[in-house]
Amino acid sequence: MELYLYQDKNTFFHRLDPRTKIWAMLVSFALLLLFQDPRFELAGLLVILVYGALAGSLGNLKKIWLLLLLIGLLSFLGWAVMARGTTPLFWHITRESLLYGLGTAIKIDAMIVAGIVFLSATRNEEVALGLIRLGLPYPAAFAFSMALRLVPTFVGAGFTAIEAQRSRGLDLDEGNVIQRAQKHIPLLAPIFLNTIRSTNQLAMALEGRGFGARKKRTYYLQIGFKAGDAVLFVLSLALLGLAVWLRIKGWGLIPGLKM
Amino acid sequence: MISLKGVRFHYKNAGEEVLKGIDLQIEKGEVVFLMGPSGAGKSTLCATLNGLIPHLIRGNFQGEVEVAGKKTREVPVKEFAPHVGLVFQDFEAQLFCTTVELEAAFGPENLGLDREELKLRVQESLDSVRMGRFRKRQPANLSGGEKQRLALASVLAMRPGALVLDEPTTDLDPLGKSELLQALRTLREKQGMTLLMVEHETEEALSADRVLLMDQGKLVAQGSPLEVLRDGKALAELGVRPLEMMELSSRLKVPATWTTPEEAHQGIQSMGLGISKEAYVKLQERDRDRKYGEVVLEVSKVSYGYEKGTPALKDVCLKVRRGEFLAVVGQNGSGKTTLMKHLNGLLKPQSGVVLVNGRDIRKEKPSQLSRKVGLVFQNPDHQIFAERVWDEAAFGPGLQGLSPKEVGERVEQALQAVGLLEAKDEDPFVLTKGSRQRLAVASVLATQPEVIVLDEPTTGLDYRELASMMELIKGLNDAGHTILMVTHSMPLVAAHAQRTVVMKEGRILKDGPTREVFSDPASLKEAFLTLPPVVSLSQRLGFTALTVDELVGCLNREIPNPKSQI
Repeated sequence: MELYLYQDKNTFFHRLDPRTKIWAMLVSFALLLLFQDPRFELAGLLVILVYGALAGSLGNLKKIWLLLLLIGLLSFLGWAVMARGTTPLFWHITRESLLYGLGTAIKIDAMIVAGIVFLSATRNEEVALGLIRLGLPYPAAFAFSMALRLVPTFVGAGFTAIEAQRSRGLDLDEGNVIQRAQKHIPLLAPIFLNTIRSTNQLAMALEGRGFGARKKRTYYLQIGFKAGDAVLFVLSLALLGLAVWLRIKGWGLIPGLKM
Repeated sequence: MISLKGVRFHYKNAGEEVLKGIDLQIEKGEVVFLMGPSGAGKSTLCATLNGLIPHLIRGNFQGEVEVAGKKTREVPVKEFAPHVGLVFQDFEAQLFCTTVELEAAFGPENLGLDREELKLRVQESLDSVRMGRFRKRQPANLSGGEKQRLALASVLAMRPGALVLDEPTTDLDPLGKSELLQALRTLREKQGMTLLMVEHETEEALSADRVLLMDQGKLVAQGSPLEVLRDGKALAELGVRPLEMMELSSRLKVPATWTTPEEAHQGIQSMGLGISKEAYVKLQERDRDRKYGEVVLEVSKVSYGYEKGTPALKDVCLKVRRGEFLAVVGQNGSGKTTLMKHLNGLLKPQSGVVLVNGRDIRKEKPSQLSRKVGLVFQNPDHQIFAERVWDEAAFGPGLQGLSPKEVGERVEQALQAVGLLEAKDEDPFVLTKGSRQRLAVASVLATQPEVIVLDEPTTGLDYRELASMMELIKGLNDAGHTILMVTHSMPLVAAHAQRTVVMKEGRILKDGPTREVFSDPASLKEAFLTLPPVVSLSQRLGFTALTVDELVGCLNREIPNPKSQI
């Protein structure tokens, strides 16, 4: 069972400096956040999918497709009801609110996809190192990368607990949704206890390995900007410029939408 | 190098004092083994050596610990990193990087070493524990033994002057164990490294300069291995396994104390003892006469891979009959646990079939399968969740739709069998590791499965706990349960398993009666396994005995020989 998102590949995108990848993710967010129109959001998603495909990271979406679907569906329905427009269709729903719901659903899912692509192609340690070079203090960057690192550990502990209880006859696939959810409750105790125990041990192991012993710390990983970073930087800047220009010209909004 | 004076420690909010006045001096370059029963305070003692006690672990600390001329009370833990490296018992919690090489680099990075030096340290530390070829792998996906070696490498990379290892070999295969110890010896020779090691394996302690015995928070004996390990009875009472060769020499009432098979071989020859053909034939007949029931488990042509391209099992075939006691051995990562997970349907074969009582397990529900095959996991802490011992054991039978009365009977029986009935109202997390392991067995036992699969049931147990666990398993086998046991302990296999399956790289390399499998040292060696000393001695004498009892029983003392007077 592969619990980490990171995939060790040697693609154009993997070889980029982590700072460039952070930049690419932020630009992707901006492309999505500038607009409301679902067609523009779709264009933004397409950009993300293109570099995601180049990074060979789209396979990871299979792990979270249900989550993406649920989040998309919820934001679509929520905004379709809550947003106000000028062309009523039925009940609370207007043509504009429907479009806005659709746009927001694509926007949120696309942002998650951009995050997944980033984490699939960047090691935790690279993320940390990138953040440090961007000026974040080491302990903060380390805490961030440790949080990323611990998620799969907890998921792993959960899987082991599930296996142990299935071995004793627990059938997690039987019953309705509520019954199935209830069956997961016994899993929480070992996960919780192991988490506390291992966090405690982790703190000791960190100290024991000299965490923070010297003011200046060195890094085994080497990062640096290369030609690829420049290419991506120019491309993304052009794309961002185009998007801002379009937005200033009034494109990509939903006319008649009242927020 | 290390000096303790009047060290006492009492954990905050916990019952008794754990260290009750320890005085100890360890010289630079000395190799010291610390042995004793579970709960003696060994791990606590280790935690005082780099200042985790008193800085990170709360409690009442008295006395003084000095390492490399620095008092632990006065210097923070992180400052000790270059002087003393500590590898904890729970090695999984010490690994937190995304690749093996970054894990090794983490300590040296904190020391602010330059990149060339970092590269060198990573290379050197990984090579010294045979992990060089795993550089790019994720620590989380390594096998238990590989993780254990990596935890050691990550500390070695800081080149500490002293190394404190708390049970560093529990999850290693026999060859991994001896390699690790060899690596440590090299470090001591090359760098004059001081070594303190908590260990349950008595055989390994022979190579130490000094052995310390600890019990109830005190050092009760210390001296050279020969001095301390000579008294087998006293050792056994302290939860330390007596040495096979020493046991043999005392059984044969020879004045000398043998420690190695070589010594014992010479001794036996000079005593003029021969092998009684009759007695050996009887042993072999006893092997042959064992009768088993029908086939309960049938694995045919099963292959499985976690990732594309690296199969964990390849065309594995195995038939197990009712009433067998079968041991599965092999190197770390050879596919043992993967195979076991196929037997109760946790994993579905990617090709091939697994039949339980002739039925394909893919067609069975978990609640039905749990009555047929029970799997006891390696780490009891991953599965125990209830707040009471009783509730933990009642979980499985409760899922089988039995009446409360029936559930009650089953739980009582199961807890009785593992000796935990009196502790039925306790919180499982206050039990010792050995008792938690027994509770894990009880909770599987309560579902009354025909076949019980145990994945390394004795890891981390002391000798007393181990002996009682094996007695429990043997009792279950006598009561008609079929037993499959994954283990790294070759003496346990020799003493208990009627049949042995040797795995290597996802395949079954050898499968047969234990005596037959152990008679083929070449294929064991191929699977990175080593023979227990008594077996290797008997083979020098020209036959295969599995235990000291068997060996003594086959020695022919009838023939008088003038040379026997030494």
